[in-house]
Amino acid sequence: MKKVLVVDDSLSVARQLEKIISESGEFKCVGHAKNGAEAIKMNHAEDPDIICMDMNMPGMDGLTALRSLSMLDKEVKVVMVTSLGGVGDKFTEALKLGAKNVISKPFEADDVLKILRGL
Amino acid sequence: MCMAVKFFGQFLVENGIVSREALLKAIELQEQKNLKFGEMAVAMGYVTQDDITRAHNAQLSRDIKLGDLLVQIGILTLTQLNEIITRQKNNHLYIGEALVLVGALSNEQLQQQLDDFKADQAPYISDRIELPGGISNPEVWEMTADLTYKMITRVLGLPFRAGKCQTITTVATNFVMAAMDLSGDVDARYIISVSQELQKSVAKAILSETSVDNEPPEVLEDTVMEFVNVVCGNIAAKASQTGKIVNINPPVTIRPDSAGLAVPAGYTGLCFPILVSEGETMQLVLFVRN
Repeated sequence: MKKVLVVDDSLSVARQLEKIISESGEFKCVGHAKNGAEAIKMNHAEDPDIICMDMNMPGMDGLTALRSLSMLDKEVKVVMVTSLGGVGDKFTEALKLGAKNVISKPFEADDVLKILRGL
Repeated sequence: MCMAVKFFGQFLVENGIVSREALLKAIELQEQKNLKFGEMAVAMGYVTQDDITRAHNAQLSRDIKLGDLLVQIGILTLTQLNEIITRQKNNHLYIGEALVLVGALSNEQLQQQLDDFKADQAPYISDRIELPGGISNPEVWEMTADLTYKMITRVLGLPFRAGKCQTITTVATNFVMAAMDLSGDVDARYIISVSQELQKSVAKAILSETSVDNEPPEVLEDTVMEFVNVVCGNIAAKASQTGKIVNINPPVTIRPDSAGLAVPAGYTGLCFPILVSEGETMQLVLFVRN
């Protein structure tokens, strides 16, 4: 079962994602980081296969963390989860920095699982 | 005052013209008779329930009406779309008519009360979004209000009535007030304030739960911030389509004292009252740099 790390400063979004991931039976949620810096630490400790990461977070934001993760860990697959998915420049920037895909908010379980399965 | 937007039914109950029970009976009748667009389309045999479910899912991440989407993906023709809308309009049962049908009002009383209601609500009710003059980037703020209304319907699933935009100098304190600063081509603060019961409605929708009674306060509060985040992100996306850059920042909760929150110097305060149900207040407030 693939391991997924959730990174989001929002408790409610983290809850939503953790529920979708754990109820899928296909993926296992290995933790929840609240910002980019925590994500880098937890990536090292938990060695997830996939990271679902918010873009807009206090402290180290998602794109900065993505840049670091892309250099530190060539194996982990990062998917950005953001309400800014419709902003072309942000979407493009995320992909350029190494994100495998972008999940736009608001999302439904099917949207998330479809993207995770496609990785 | 921004809070003064009312439903006609609420106006009648508050003024003792009809009882709460009669109003509920009339609303129940309305709910039976008035079909939503998707229901009408199914009833007319133009689409299946599966088509509607698929379209609703697709609609969540797009700013498009259900009917337009169904036309766009080839399930409905433009002629069928217009037929459905016309049937909906022609068959719509208004609350006043429903009150007459349940015996709570006579036709003469209805007409008199409608006239009184219009006079009472004239300063507050708006059929379209109109901003006071002299606001910078008015098209962005009209879009902001429009998108907020659409997200309240689509993400929160709440029926509501939008009041007329007013210029304010102080924002009244509410149970939860979540804010996000917008920068780039604009300089503004976006605020959504909700009453305690509406906070629960927001939380149920955001968490996809039927009950949030056992949720900790920080999770409930977070759901309002997340709603602000979702709306503002989509505003940024919509603005980008017209060439405007709107950057968003992480949402925050603000807690003004009972005197309310003053609009900062150099900014104009715009208040959009949103009436969801009796006694439950929700407001969109914008502080826009002059």
